[in-house]
Amino acid sequence: MNTIKELYDYREMIFSLVRRDLKGRYKGSVLGFLWTFLNPLLQLGVYTMVFSIIMRSDVEDYYLFLFVALVPWIFFSTSLSGGASCIWSQKEMVKKIYFPREVLPIAFVTSQFVNMLLSFCVIFPILIINKKPINIQALCWLPFIMLIEYLLSLSVAMLTSGITVYLRDVEYILAIIVMAWQFLTPVLYSIEQVPEELKVIFTLNPMSPIIIAYRDILYYGKAPNAATLMQAIILGIILLMIGCFSFSKLKKHFAEEL
Amino acid sequence: MKEQNAIEVTNITKSFKIYQDKGNTLKEKILFKNRRKYEERKVLDGISFEVKKGEAIGLIGSNGCGKSTTLKLLTKIMYPDSGKIEMKGRVSSLIELGAGFHPDMSGRENIYINASIFGLNKKEIDKRLENIIAFSELEEFIDNPVRTYSSGMYMRLAFSVAINVDADILLIDEILAVGDANFQAKCFSKLREIKTYGTTIVIVSHSLGQIEQICERSIWIQQGKIKMEGLPRDVHPEYMNYMGEKRQAIEKKTSDNSNKEVVAEKNEDTESGNGKIKISYIKIQDISGEEKNVFRTEEMMKFVIGYKVYEEVMDSCFGIAIFRSDNIFCYGTNTRIDRFKNIRLLNDGEIVFEMKNTLLPGEYNIDVAIESEMGIYATYCKKICKFITYTDIEDIGVTRIEHKWEGSCFI
Repeated sequence: MNTIKELYDYREMIFSLVRRDLKGRYKGSVLGFLWTFLNPLLQLGVYTMVFSIIMRSDVEDYYLFLFVALVPWIFFSTSLSGGASCIWSQKEMVKKIYFPREVLPIAFVTSQFVNMLLSFCVIFPILIINKKPINIQALCWLPFIMLIEYLLSLSVAMLTSGITVYLRDVEYILAIIVMAWQFLTPVLYSIEQVPEELKVIFTLNPMSPIIIAYRDILYYGKAPNAATLMQAIILGIILLMIGCFSFSKLKKHFAEEL
Repeated sequence: MKEQNAIEVTNITKSFKIYQDKGNTLKEKILFKNRRKYEERKVLDGISFEVKKGEAIGLIGSNGCGKSTTLKLLTKIMYPDSGKIEMKGRVSSLIELGAGFHPDMSGRENIYINASIFGLNKKEIDKRLENIIAFSELEEFIDNPVRTYSSGMYMRLAFSVAINVDADILLIDEILAVGDANFQAKCFSKLREIKTYGTTIVIVSHSLGQIEQICERSIWIQQGKIKMEGLPRDVHPEYMNYMGEKRQAIEKKTSDNSNKEVVAEKNEDTESGNGKIKISYIKIQDISGEEKNVFRTEEMMKFVIGYKVYEEVMDSCFGIAIFRSDNIFCYGTNTRIDRFKNIRLLNDGEIVFEMKNTLLPGEYNIDVAIESEMGIYATYCKKICKFITYTDIEDIGVTRIEHKWEGSCFI
């Protein structure tokens, strides 16, 4: 409870770290902030090329099918792998200044989240151009799904960033974990294509319901299924509790370990 | 917690594991589990003190005594192993300046980032912005990227932010060496001003002068314990004496090993003269006759010089000269100047040169000469021995000249 109040006092620090990250990222490049939009657009171009010319898929508009899932997935996976080093990389600050340590993972995940939102600015016009059905009622669910994904990403970022301080390997192991995790999440294919006996793994994976929901809303234009939602919420809350609890234990010795 | 206190520290302890070779990777953690030797070092061993609201205290002590650790515990960067720390009010620390600065962003943007790290919200920063910029004296450059700043400008900006946080408790670690002399003076008067508003200040510094100027109380920490506590002008001389004695012990250890050999292997470079008389030994003693080579300013010291006569000399003269380690000639005299006449050296003997050490802190070398007749050296020994001076007075220059001030304005 104290931590939450303190985090509120330090909200300006979170905002300015996010602002610094977003503004500082493309500083010095010619196109500057435009890259934030250009990047997903170019990615989309590559996927379109590959999947409509080289690897044709049965799914209609496969590149869109993929893209609406890939953007949220990239948000999650960056929070997981990049978030791991967010405390380590600020060690000078952590060693010398007091602030609630949670600020660092929160700022990192938030800045990734804003990035995802900006990518969505690219997705919507393309969905409209491709005459995908836009269901207003379904779209109302989108912020809710995003919030759950945000909390989920924050939990893993807290967990990995805290552990990385004590065990530097985590950062490198995570690269592989993220790759494997992507294939255990219906990003490249739909959940229906998964063999029945493997479905258990997919249901335990907190990212599965979220990716499915994104695709339901954006690609199929329908409201996400209630069971999927409940599953996402419950898994999200459990993970958040684990993340917060372990972080509060780990943070006590950050300054000594760094 | 008592009403009038801003900080209460009760019996805190803190140990660190000092790894000889710290492995941070999984492989090292598992494979070398038994190989990873470490010793537990107790940095703080039961420290308790209280600081009243609006009081300024200084923490002093030799390197590694635990004063910086104490400050880190106060900022809550680290947590004590046992004991309790209670603080009332917003804490700001001037331990790390310029945290979070982004080189590509302007000074103004960086003020916002840096101030937010101290826990200010946007409104509070807006309110202070003018003051911060004015204090840093960087008005013309404030919208340029910080990477174009000189390091002095960078520090000035960083210091301005930190000092304008308006904390209830301000923790400072050895950072008053910011910018040029002008800006330092400004920082100092700002600190005094802040103090008058009732801010509690804790300073860690090696500069006792700085502490004396700001603090009402000094706490001397020695090996994790409080050795002495009280008015700076009571604590600091004791501390300086202790440091001097420690210096002496170290010097003695090294000189025990080397001194005799040095005398034995005097060579052409350091010794000249016609050789009718030679110096057989030289000892530096304090007034009680104890041999040592670290002296306090204003302490009496004796040089005992033994000589050997190879050929009788009828009109001799002894001379002595003191050089500082950077070869500044500080003082010289001889028996002729002091009007001794007809000194006959027929047999081996010993003379004593006694003086009051008025030299200010530094390392000093001694030259000794004996003449066989007017203007001709029987022996001249350069840098035959050396001594070290320390003090708790803060005069500057080479020597402390006796002085007094008078005037109706002095009460």
